[in-house]
Amino acid sequence: MNPLKVENVFKQYGDKTAVNGISLEVGEGEIYGLLGANGAGKTTTMRMVLGLIYPDEGKILYHGKSYSSGQLRNLGYLPEERGLYPKVRVSDQLIYLAQLRGMSKKDAERSLKQWLDRFEVPEYYNKKVEELSKGNQQKIQFIAGVIHSPKIVILDEAFSGLDPVNVELLKSTVKELRDAGTSILFSTHRMEHVEELCRNITILHRSNVVLKGNLKEIKKQFPKERVILSTETEVSGLDNLTGVTGVTRHEYGYEIGIANESAGGEILRHAMGQSTITRFEIKEPTLNEIFIKTVGDSHE
Amino acid sequence: MNSFWTVVGFTLKNKFRGKAFLITTIIIAVIMTIGINLPYIFSLFSNGDKVTHIGYIQSTQAEQAQGSATGDQLKAFFAAQEKPGVNLVPFEDKGSEAENEKQLKQAIADKEINGYLQFGKMTENGFPEMTYKSEKLMAFELTSSIQSGLQVIRQAAVLQDAGLSDAQMALLNAPIKIDTVQISATEGAGNVGEGKTPEQQAMNMGLVYFIVVLLFMAIMITGQLIASEITAEKSSRVMELLITSVSPLKQMFGKIAGMFLVGIIQISIYVLVMIINVNLPHNDKLLGEWNINFSDIDPALLLYSVLFYLTGYFLFATLFAAVGSIVSRTEDLGQAVLPITMISMAGFYISIFSISSPDSMLVKVTSFIPFFSPYVMLLRLGLTDPPVWEVLTSIGILLVTIYLAVWISAKIYRTGVLMYGKRPSFKELRKAMRAYKI
Repeated sequence: MNPLKVENVFKQYGDKTAVNGISLEVGEGEIYGLLGANGAGKTTTMRMVLGLIYPDEGKILYHGKSYSSGQLRNLGYLPEERGLYPKVRVSDQLIYLAQLRGMSKKDAERSLKQWLDRFEVPEYYNKKVEELSKGNQQKIQFIAGVIHSPKIVILDEAFSGLDPVNVELLKSTVKELRDAGTSILFSTHRMEHVEELCRNITILHRSNVVLKGNLKEIKKQFPKERVILSTETEVSGLDNLTGVTGVTRHEYGYEIGIANESAGGEILRHAMGQSTITRFEIKEPTLNEIFIKTVGDSHE
Repeated sequence: MNSFWTVVGFTLKNKFRGKAFLITTIIIAVIMTIGINLPYIFSLFSNGDKVTHIGYIQSTQAEQAQGSATGDQLKAFFAAQEKPGVNLVPFEDKGSEAENEKQLKQAIADKEINGYLQFGKMTENGFPEMTYKSEKLMAFELTSSIQSGLQVIRQAAVLQDAGLSDAQMALLNAPIKIDTVQISATEGAGNVGEGKTPEQQAMNMGLVYFIVVLLFMAIMITGQLIASEITAEKSSRVMELLITSVSPLKQMFGKIAGMFLVGIIQISIYVLVMIINVNLPHNDKLLGEWNINFSDIDPALLLYSVLFYLTGYFLFATLFAAVGSIVSRTEDLGQAVLPITMISMAGFYISIFSISSPDSMLVKVTSFIPFFSPYVMLLRLGLTDPPVWEVLTSIGILLVTIYLAVWISAKIYRTGVLMYGKRPSFKELRKAMRAYKI
């Protein structure tokens, strides 16, 4: 039984449909990507999962059970809009939040210390949040979401506003949580993070599910349309080949758009005749491209 | 229930740790200490008995004889008093009016006297014309004590000739007293005894004043704090975490209860400061003079005071919490709580301004209106004797209103904390409530 199951959930605000029939399942030790442009219905979906608002139709099951306030302790949440008490000490507020979720004070203290050590900032225990840099506030915010070792974690834009070093740190922490068996519902605009972390994704667009499934399979559905070519000397006449839709010159060589995969061979033969090839790759579509394609198409 | 107390504890801890709380408490305690000790401090600076020295010319000249005689009589009269506030100082006649005036002015400059009396022509009232001259403006108190002195002197002079006995004289001079006792003609709710003596009335009035002011302060200060803390939680977005950790109801009532305790503790500190100061040995005498005796307070009134304080606080606190939850930014809060503040102020002022007319129709009507009744019914209980059924009805209406306010506030709170952006109108709020299925 999957820890989190969203079944055919509808939500309407007045006459505006916010979520139009979303279904998803997050398995144990899985990171599930929930993608969508702003206003696509991600936050509403997450709020329903968190039990803040109730779906009009459909069901949300946690380990097979429907929502009750007892579920709160199994849920961890990192909201998109970050917020902590600015003038309260890190230890005070995190232990408070952990206690609200049913932890004892002692366990909460121990857990907080472990997490601060994990992020190599044990000295923040007695600091006020307003004294910390933004990146470090994010770390504390992250700890606030997971301090009570929840089974299901909801990360809304987990890595926004972080520098690359901290993004890596948090990413590896999220992977650790996943490997420890936590189910994570993950929403972001950054496609490369999704590609790195998520097994399954759902793309929402204007309240509707436009794409859903296993990330690898989704990628297979989309044709390979790009060739990367690097050669030692210049190659001419690439635009005239059949199946080539466009050529862009980069420092490293050429990025060639193709109509079908067989055009790739054509390009390779053509380039080999003119120069020595140092790199040739028929690229899979990136999630970014897939996202823009699916969301952009229906935009018209 | 557990997380309710966690919220209460966190609220308390944060308030007590905050510098603002500590500083305000200390400042108010210091101001109270100074205020209570002010009479004593003043008495230290004024050099003991305040006697006004008044100069007059003692002359043997015929046209001055009447004035001199009056001056002597006054001197004798004030000297015979137990605590003379006035002392007359005779000066020698220097011959001319200008010389005399010069001499007396010099005496004022030398601080020998505070002022002097000048006597003129004899008048029909038995005394010569008199002018009091001093550097002070409007020495009414002094002139009136001279006047009453002269009254007594004249009365004595006139009665001497009538041949009255000493007992008759004493009877004439004995002051007339009227005592007032407040009784209840019907079955009253305000008191347990059969009547209230003036001392008890004064104590009850004092208690009513005290509780009404206290309630008003608690509502204004604590209520605003509740609202602003909730708004701050919303604007700093901690709210998102809180509402996913604990049910909004527990959170809201935990905060209200926590702030209530903060208020009670703060009030206790002030009361303690007051009691300590009042019991300082040098203040003992002053209180005795005011006839303050805490056992004069009616226990029933005390009970009602606590009851109305609690219900009044709770009613307003829930409303403040609801308003705080719909505002997203602290800047917008002042405007949003204005209606509640106005209602609270209206109740307070009706009560305070009606303290001399606790029987008016306005008081009777408003003592049943829930937002005013904590202030106004208390006034009626303390100063008049309202029938039991009226008091119970008022409390009943108040309790029903609290129930409704809690119900509505809880709904608004649950909806409000999820709504960001501009302050929602009532219509938008209702729409959102329906959408959130709250």
